[in-house]
Amino acid sequence: MPEQQKTSILILDDEPIVSQRLKPSLEKQGYEVETFTASLDALKRTREKTFDIVITDLKMEGLDGMGFLGKVKEKSPATEVIVITGFATMETAKESFQKGVFDFLAKPFKMGEIIAAIKKAEQKIKQTL
Amino acid sequence: MKKTIKNLISLFSGGNRKASAVPFPVLFRSFQEILATNNKMLERIADVNDKLGGNYIFDRHYIDTTCQEITDLALKLIHGLDTMAPKKYMALYNAFRRISAEIEKDLSGERPYCPFGELTLPYEAIDHDAEETVGGKNANLAELNNFLDLRIPRGFAVTGTAFYTFLGKNGLGQKIDTIRHGWISGDVPLEDAAREIRQLITTTPLPGNLEKAVNSCLAQLAPESKNKPLFLAIRSSAWGEDGELSFAGQYKTVLNVPAADFADAYRQVVASAYSENALTYRQEAGFQENSITMAVACQIMVDAVVSGVMYTLDPQGNGHTMQLGATWGLGAPLVSGQVSGDRFIIERTSTHPVKTMQIVRKENALYSLPDGGTALTQVPVDQQTRACLNKDQVKHIAETGLLIEKYFKKPQDIEFTMDRQGQLTILQTRSLNIKLEEVPKAADLAQLLSHCSILFSDKGEIAQKGIATGKVYMLSDDSALRDFPAGGILVARFASPQLARVMAKASAVLTDVGSATGHLATIAREFRVPCILNIGDATKRLHPGQEITVDAEANIIYECLVDELSYYDLTEEAIEETVEYRLLRRVLKNIAPLNLLDPKEKKFTPAACRTFHDITRFVHEKAVEELIDRNYYQHHAPNTASGKLCWKIPLDLVLIDIDGGLKPGFQKGDVTPDEILSVPLQSLLKGLAHPDVWDNEPMSVDLKSFMSSLTRTFSTEVASPKFVGQNLAVISKEYANVNLRLGYHFTVIDSYVSDNINDNYAYFRFFGGVTDQTRRSRRATFLGKVLANHDFRVELRDDLVVARIKKLNKDRMLSRLEVLGLLVGFTRQLDVKMLSEQHINKYVEKFNQLMEVSICPNNKKPVS
Repeated sequence: MPEQQKTSILILDDEPIVSQRLKPSLEKQGYEVETFTASLDALKRTREKTFDIVITDLKMEGLDGMGFLGKVKEKSPATEVIVITGFATMETAKESFQKGVFDFLAKPFKMGEIIAAIKKAEQKIKQTL
Repeated sequence: MKKTIKNLISLFSGGNRKASAVPFPVLFRSFQEILATNNKMLERIADVNDKLGGNYIFDRHYIDTTCQEITDLALKLIHGLDTMAPKKYMALYNAFRRISAEIEKDLSGERPYCPFGELTLPYEAIDHDAEETVGGKNANLAELNNFLDLRIPRGFAVTGTAFYTFLGKNGLGQKIDTIRHGWISGDVPLEDAAREIRQLITTTPLPGNLEKAVNSCLAQLAPESKNKPLFLAIRSSAWGEDGELSFAGQYKTVLNVPAADFADAYRQVVASAYSENALTYRQEAGFQENSITMAVACQIMVDAVVSGVMYTLDPQGNGHTMQLGATWGLGAPLVSGQVSGDRFIIERTSTHPVKTMQIVRKENALYSLPDGGTALTQVPVDQQTRACLNKDQVKHIAETGLLIEKYFKKPQDIEFTMDRQGQLTILQTRSLNIKLEEVPKAADLAQLLSHCSILFSDKGEIAQKGIATGKVYMLSDDSALRDFPAGGILVARFASPQLARVMAKASAVLTDVGSATGHLATIAREFRVPCILNIGDATKRLHPGQEITVDAEANIIYECLVDELSYYDLTEEAIEETVEYRLLRRVLKNIAPLNLLDPKEKKFTPAACRTFHDITRFVHEKAVEELIDRNYYQHHAPNTASGKLCWKIPLDLVLIDIDGGLKPGFQKGDVTPDEILSVPLQSLLKGLAHPDVWDNEPMSVDLKSFMSSLTRTFSTEVASPKFVGQNLAVISKEYANVNLRLGYHFTVIDSYVSDNINDNYAYFRFFGGVTDQTRRSRRATFLGKVLANHDFRVELRDDLVVARIKKLNKDRMLSRLEVLGLLVGFTRQLDVKMLSEQHINKYVEKFNQLMEVSICPNNKKPVS
């Protein structure tokens, strides 16, 4: 049976637990998921492959999330970015949205919340196609 | 609110400060700050508890920042009280340091050391939370008996606290450390270090209190051995032994020990924590050496005829089989590979037929000797080639194994034994860390599931997450529970607590009616059985015997057996197993439990504070006391008056008037209700005095509630509607801050009501109670519904209710305060009556009726 093109998601968070919990749940929902804990590795991967959705933390060693998502949007404006952060402030939220972030979730979040955000992003992608 | 308080306080700023060491405005401002911090603290604690529910993704950063926040709040509370009563409660700082050091220890990854812990704990008294005190082996075993009612050897745990007590004897711990450092720095060879440590340990006497605790536990066990001498198995149960780092086989087990020789055997097991192997193993695994905690299991020897090991999931199999090895006598030589045993490969599905059976010659077996100790003895020739288990026994062991696997949500490695009567006793169970080749990857599951038709999805509430496959067992009436087959999926109309009887056997539970906060949901969580309640028509959509897969993660019911899904679930790391989850649960132990409740108890002291919640509670109580003490019992501040309410209801309420809250000219003494001019307090008391609220018959507290109250360290009578301690209201003409402790419920109401609509507000906080969590939550739900009906913005967290309302005109505000008064009276024992979910609405109805018969027109809910 011809498999429908899966929505591809890249997750970047320096704490492994986040990917570890998100990946299986999202895969079970039928998404194709790649995870990273170092922003430079993730950046390298986004240069090789265009993802439909990127989920990223903000505060990280080296290149931080804001820098990372800026580069992602620069290369592929159609990629929808969802920010997840434990340092949610009005300023970071504002800055994220100015950079064209699709959604902003404060950690800790519920699995249902992030899936809802992903589904919304998916819809937007479909509409623009 | 701050602005209002400021206005109030400014009224006194010119007052005579000599009257009291701390001027009243300062006192009152600190008091207000304490209340606000207290609220924040309770909300934060409830928040964190919520995170343990399993629905959240949280990381280490969250744990660190939350602990920091809560620690800051605790310190702020203590400072606040110190401002009110300088240097009076200095011991609180010690309690604070002690508790924050414990939290710090948890966060830094050092082993927990519970200074308050018991030295010994009988298996009956061990629950899941005791794991860190008694070690995994003890905890798992105790759970098998306490939750699954499986047979385990009678016995007790010698705890980690006992281990530290022992290390404290004659400076043993320090001496060990010195030797160990010698080894790590290369000055002492490993063999010498291990030998020296062993010698030190085996020659150090047990501390007197430890010996006493052990002897008292042994005396409890003695009657079981029917006048015969008592023989014991002494096993290691080190912290983390069965965790992600398997220490299997590293530590010693001493079998068939005469009770009189306990101390020797205990020392041998402790010494095994420092054997050459163990020292090297821990060093290589990167363990902090000084943080080993060796709890020990002390069990009555079972008269073993056959013993063995079962893997509930065969590591060499395809995911459909389990593996069992067994031999005559004791199991130790089989586990250590000294003898070979019979091997059975069994189907995981009922009725567990044996797929392959390999019977070996069993020449020798280990048996207990009559005077203690064991010996490898020749097996009678006719038994050597006989299978040591028959088909029925294999089936029984397989069923038991799956029961245990289902409970722990992981494939299990189980050691068991069978006695002369053929009774199966479980000696040990731990997670089997295997990865099956054929288990599908998560990515393939979506594909697999797409071939399966969905019966229904997103209906009802998930009470316990998880995945299960099995046949539908439709429950017609409760008597049919007797016939419920192990592994069946229970489908019932109501979430009746009766269903608890078969919970351990069920693969999943689905009901038409019920709630995720109900009693059955609690039980499902205890047994970790996937459970979806309130589906509406599950009994209509499903039919008896139908094979279905319940995905209580995504809330989908499939019309087929998707075994892959449940294998996937078994090999996936459960959230409860993640490092972060366990860390949060551990730090919470020093934060959330409330041990101090009754201020009349002698142990209501800073020294008895074991958690930040205790400190919070203590500070609140003392802050109220200080305010009362300074302004009622002693001379009060100028411009204030104080009195005690003299009323038909024994509210024991002290009033402090800061501006026109009492009749002009009133100075001190008894206050009658008509002397109160504080507008919000008048309305509150009016509601509280509602006659129908006070003619309730005294409530008898049933056994479960009573037991629950015991564990929460209550001591005084709980049945009569009497008040404990003193209640306080700080008032002005427009303002009231009321702190009530009715029975074991704590209520704070803070309100300002004037003609200026923008200044008006009321804040209501309520928590506590004497019954179990479920009923307290039901009462909270009840409160939430009533308050929402009256336009309050309500936040519910477990049994904590916070409600706010603001900017209503004066009449409407006052009617809300009357509602609050009525609610406080109405609710004071309601948790005891909250027997089921249905009672919530029943009492909402009843409350509405009360409101309707009330003649005050203000009570009518405004049509808006």
